[in-house]
Amino acid sequence: MARREKADVSRRDVVKMAGATGLAGLGVAGSASAQENPPIGNFPIQGNPTFGFTVPQSGPYSSEGQDELRAYRLAVEHLNNGGGWVDNWSDLTGNGVLGNQVEFVSGDTATDADTARQTARRMIQRDGAIMLSGGSSSAVAIAIQELCQREKVNYMCCLTHSNDTTGKSCVRYSFREMFNAYMSAQALVPPVTDEYGGSNNFYQLYADYTWGQTVQSSMSQFFGEAGWNEMNSVATPLGTKDFSSYLSQVPRGETDVLFLNHYGLDGANSLSQAKEMGLDEDMEIIVPLYNRPMAQAAGGSIEGVFGTVAWDSQIDNEPSNQFTSAFQEKYERIPSGPAQLAYAQTLQYAAAVERAGTFYPPEVIRQLEDHEYDNIGMGQETMRACDHQAQRAVPVVKGLPEGEQQQGQFFEIVNLTSRDTLGYACDEGPAGECELGPYE
Amino acid sequence: MSLLAETVTVLLNGLQQGAIYVLVAIGLSIILGTLKFVNFAHGALYLIGTYAGLLITLEITLTDGKLADWGYTTLGLGWGFLPALLIVPVLVFVVGLAMERFVARPFYDRPDTDQILLTFGLAIVVQEVFKILFGGQSYNFARPGWASGQVGLPIVGTFPEWRLYIIGITAAVVVLVYGLIEYTDFGLVVRAGTRDAEMVELLGIKLSRPYLMVFGVGAALAGVAGVVGGPLYAVNPNIGTEVLVPSFLVVVIGGVGSISGAVLGGILIGETLAIMVAIAPQWSQVGIYVLAAVVLLARPQGLLGAEEVTP
Repeated sequence: MARREKADVSRRDVVKMAGATGLAGLGVAGSASAQENPPIGNFPIQGNPTFGFTVPQSGPYSSEGQDELRAYRLAVEHLNNGGGWVDNWSDLTGNGVLGNQVEFVSGDTATDADTARQTARRMIQRDGAIMLSGGSSSAVAIAIQELCQREKVNYMCCLTHSNDTTGKSCVRYSFREMFNAYMSAQALVPPVTDEYGGSNNFYQLYADYTWGQTVQSSMSQFFGEAGWNEMNSVATPLGTKDFSSYLSQVPRGETDVLFLNHYGLDGANSLSQAKEMGLDEDMEIIVPLYNRPMAQAAGGSIEGVFGTVAWDSQIDNEPSNQFTSAFQEKYERIPSGPAQLAYAQTLQYAAAVERAGTFYPPEVIRQLEDHEYDNIGMGQETMRACDHQAQRAVPVVKGLPEGEQQQGQFFEIVNLTSRDTLGYACDEGPAGECELGPYE
Repeated sequence: MSLLAETVTVLLNGLQQGAIYVLVAIGLSIILGTLKFVNFAHGALYLIGTYAGLLITLEITLTDGKLADWGYTTLGLGWGFLPALLIVPVLVFVVGLAMERFVARPFYDRPDTDQILLTFGLAIVVQEVFKILFGGQSYNFARPGWASGQVGLPIVGTFPEWRLYIIGITAAVVVLVYGLIEYTDFGLVVRAGTRDAEMVELLGIKLSRPYLMVFGVGAALAGVAGVVGGPLYAVNPNIGTEVLVPSFLVVVIGGVGSISGAVLGGILIGETLAIMVAIAPQWSQVGIYVLAAVVLLARPQGLLGAEEVTP
C-alpha cells in the first residue's frame, strides 16, 4: 500500500515537473490535457473503458429488458470489432473506442427504482463504469440519471417515456433518444381523430408513477385541445395483474375511447382483459405506448389498437434495415424498439467520445449537445442542448389481427410522424421545467 | 350503471379473483395443517401447472431462452383446454409426490426456518430453470374458444365467460376436496393426524402414506389453479411468486388446515381487492394486509382455524 502511494506521488511529481519546465513537446501536450481535463467521476479510466447496462431482468418490464441486453451486447461487439452501424458511422472505427476495447457489465433493475439505484451505484463504484445506459421504467431512469449527475458519469437513457426525464427531472449528464409522452400525444391526435372523430368521451387508466402520470396528463391536454371530453382517469399500481375491477368501472354506455396507459406486462394484461370483458365492442381502445414483447404477450388483443412505438423493424430505410439484419444474423430474431434504442444510444455515446477525443465527461456532453445526426433510422434528428431531448420522428402504429401477425411483426405503421409537426420550444412544455445542472 | 349493478359486478369480480387464491391456498393450508410443513415452493407448483397447461393447450412460438437456442422454436401439443385440465393435475400430483419424498420428508422435524429457506430456495431454482428454458418472454395463454366471450347476466349485464367458469371449477374442486377430507377414511386419518399425529401412529396407522397423498393432492390443486388462472394473465416465470404471497394471506386469514377457512379467506381477499379498487384504488394492495392484520389481532388462529392443540 505504502509503496503504491509513493509511486503515485512520484508520478505526479514527474508530470508537474514536465509541465513546469516544458521540457519535451510530448510532455507539454500530455500535461496540458491533464490540466484541461481534471479527474471527475470515473475519469480518467483505469484500463479499458467499462460500460454499465442497467436493464430490467425481472418485474413487469423484464421482456423488454431481455431484448435491450441483446442489443447492448451487439453494440459492444460492433464497437470492438466493426459491423452493423459502426461500419457506416464516420465517428466510429470498429476498433474499440479511442483505440480501447470496450468492456461491459450488466445488472438487473427489477423494474424498481431502489434496486436500480443500487445496481447503478455498484457499477460506478466497483466496476468503474464510465458510462451507464438502460431503461425500461421512467422511475428507474430518473433515479439512475440523478445518481449519474451526482457521480459525474454519463447516462444514455434507453427506454423512458415520461415527460419528466427531460422535463423537471432532467440532468446535464443524461441524454434521451426516446420521445416522450407529450410527443406521443401530439403524434396520436391527428390519425386518431381522423379515424374516430373530433368529439369523443374518453376514459383513462394509468400506471401510477411518473411515466403513467405524464402520459395521462399529456393525453388529457392534447385530446382535450382536440375537442374530446375526459370523463375520468384512474390510477392503477405498477405491477397490477388483474385489471378486471378497474375495467368494470368504465361506463360502457358513455365512453367512446378508452386509453390504457400501461406498459410491458401490465399493458399486455390490461389490454387482453379489456378485450376479454368485451369493452372493445362498446368503445375504441388506445395504448399510447407499446412495443413488440408486449404485443406478443397480448396476442390477438391488439387488433386495431392505436399506439406509438419507439421504433419498428418495418420502418424501411437503410439504417433500420441494417440494424435489423445485424441483429437477426446474431440472434435469429427480429429486434424490438427498445433493442434499437439500446443499440443506438451506446453508439451515440461512443461516437461522441471519438469526436471529443477523450472520455472526459463534460467534453462528451458538449459533443452530444445540439448534435445533428441522420444515422439511426428515424430521419434527421437533433439532440437538443436545452433539455437533452432528441427531436425526432414518432412512429404511430395500429395492431394487426392475430391471423396476420408474424414473428416480430405485430403492427402496421400508420404514420411516421415527422419531427417538424411535433415537439415544443425550449421554454415551453416539459422543457420549460428543465434545469440541467452543472457540467463539472 | 346503477349502484346495484355496480355493486354486484364488484362482488362478482372479487369472487373470481378470490377463486384462484382459494385453489392455491387449500393445498398450502392442508400441507401446513397436516404435515406442519411450510411450503414456499407452492407457487412453483402453480408455475409448473400454468406452463404445462399452456403447452398442452396450445402451440406456442419461443423466441427466447435455451429451448429456442436448441432449435425448439415451436412447442406445445395444441390439444385444447379440457385435456390440459385433466392431465395437468395428474402431472403436478406426481411432482408433488416427488417433492414430499425428496424435499419435504427429510425436513419434517426441522425448524420452520429451515423449511422456509429450503422451499424458498427451491422456488427460486424452479423459477430460474423456467426462465432459462423459456426465456423472460411472456406468453399469451389464450382462453378456451368455448369460453372466450361474454355472457349476459341479470343485473350485471355482460360478464367475461371464462371468469364465470373459474368460479364454477373452483366450487366443484372445493366440494370434491372437502368430500375427500370429511367423508373418507383417508380424510379421517388425515384429520386425526392433524390433531395428534403421535396418537394416530400409536393406533398402528402409518402416517407416511397419507402424508404423501396430502402433499400430492395439495400440489395437484396448485396445478389446477395454474391451468385455470393461466388464461387470465400473460404467462411468465414470475407468476408463481406473485400468487404465493396473497395465498399465504388467505391461509393466515382463514386458519391453517381448514378448507372452509381457505375458501372464506380467499373470498375475503378477493372481495377486499375488488372493493378497494372501486373506492380507493391506490390502497387496494394495502387493504389486504390491513385485513390480515385485523384478523390476526382478533383471532390469531385465523377465522376458521382450530385452537392449537398443545401436546
